[in-house]
Amino acid sequence: MRTFLATVFIAITGSLILWVSTDRGRAFTVEEARRLDVRENPRFVPEWHLQNQDLETVTIQDWRGSFLIVDFIYTSCPSVCLILSGGLKSLQKDFSSELEKNNLRLLSISFDPEKDTPQRLKEHLSHFSANFKYWIAARPVSSSQKEAILDFFKVIVIPDEYGGYTHSAGYHVIDPQGRLVAIFGVEQLNELKEYLTQVVNKENDHQS
Amino acid sequence: MIIKVKQEWLLLTAFVVLALPPMQQFLEQSMVTHMLVQIPVLAIIGWMLGKKLPENWKSKITLWNRWGITGMVLAVIIMTYWMLPRALDAAISEWHFELVKFVTVPIMGIALSLSWPLLHPIAQGVLKLEFWATFMRLGWLYLDLPDRLCANYLLGDQRILGQLLLLGGSAWAVAWTLRVMFGTRIVKT
Repeated sequence: MRTFLATVFIAITGSLILWVSTDRGRAFTVEEARRLDVRENPRFVPEWHLQNQDLETVTIQDWRGSFLIVDFIYTSCPSVCLILSGGLKSLQKDFSSELEKNNLRLLSISFDPEKDTPQRLKEHLSHFSANFKYWIAARPVSSSQKEAILDFFKVIVIPDEYGGYTHSAGYHVIDPQGRLVAIFGVEQLNELKEYLTQVVNKENDHQS
Repeated sequence: MIIKVKQEWLLLTAFVVLALPPMQQFLEQSMVTHMLVQIPVLAIIGWMLGKKLPENWKSKITLWNRWGITGMVLAVIIMTYWMLPRALDAAISEWHFELVKFVTVPIMGIALSLSWPLLHPIAQGVLKLEFWATFMRLGWLYLDLPDRLCANYLLGDQRILGQLLLLGGSAWAVAWTLRVMFGTRIVKT
């Protein structure tokens, strides 16, 4: 009897712990967890200072009123950043009218500010035929700001075996009120486009 | 008696060495050493500690742990938790999860050492097979998966771990086959 009670107690408590620590069975990895978390708890993006490719200081809140898609890159990246930036390029093409109407902006933030000078950021943008009016590349102005930014977006960057980095990759959506509202993975570009079409239309209806 | 005391001190020393920040960082910088060295050694420390528990403690615990069932359930839950990729990541980035790991994994070892001998042979067989299947499943998964499961580890690391798990699982399978077919005992279990 005692064994039975103890077993039932441990089984129930244990299952509850597993249930809670996987967000009710929905997130088994850190990446899934951070995507789920921003969907359920959108949060305001603080006013960090960033330096853009034209040496101007900008903050994310400068783009209030537009949807902003943020990706994290380093310009010497050989792999996933290229796919991410390719995705932004494809957004630039598909959403050109929204970009013209100031409903959408694209921002690539470098987490390697020592190497990624404004000059290199500019080259990176040019490489993806970015229109500098709509697509900005920027780097944090200090390492403490960099840490704060990565921490806020829960982006984990680790050095890889080739002197580069491996990092959480995704498209981070900031809404016109300046809140981080969604994160899409590299492989979810189509879902991101559908999402954007929906929310931008909704925003337009709201304004008219 | 002197030897007994000595062995307990050894276990404690091993535990402290693992918990030392340089050792901890060294083992945790790779997914392979984190999962195949640090966690198993913590479990083994628990296992050996369980063998060293005073007899009257053991008999008291056994009242709550007939046929070893309670302890096995506890062990399986702790094992499942530390198989969650996000639990492993959390242990690296947040100190309180790390603390939980250093407490629960040895507890898992203790629970196993107290419960395994009490377990019915059929249950032992089923669990062994299930552990083996987990090795093979995870190994295959890690080899095959194009994405990283842990945000703190490289894809290459995950692949190596997959290979090692498959290799270990295969060695285990060969050992079993030899035993079943020819009665050769390579390992004790």
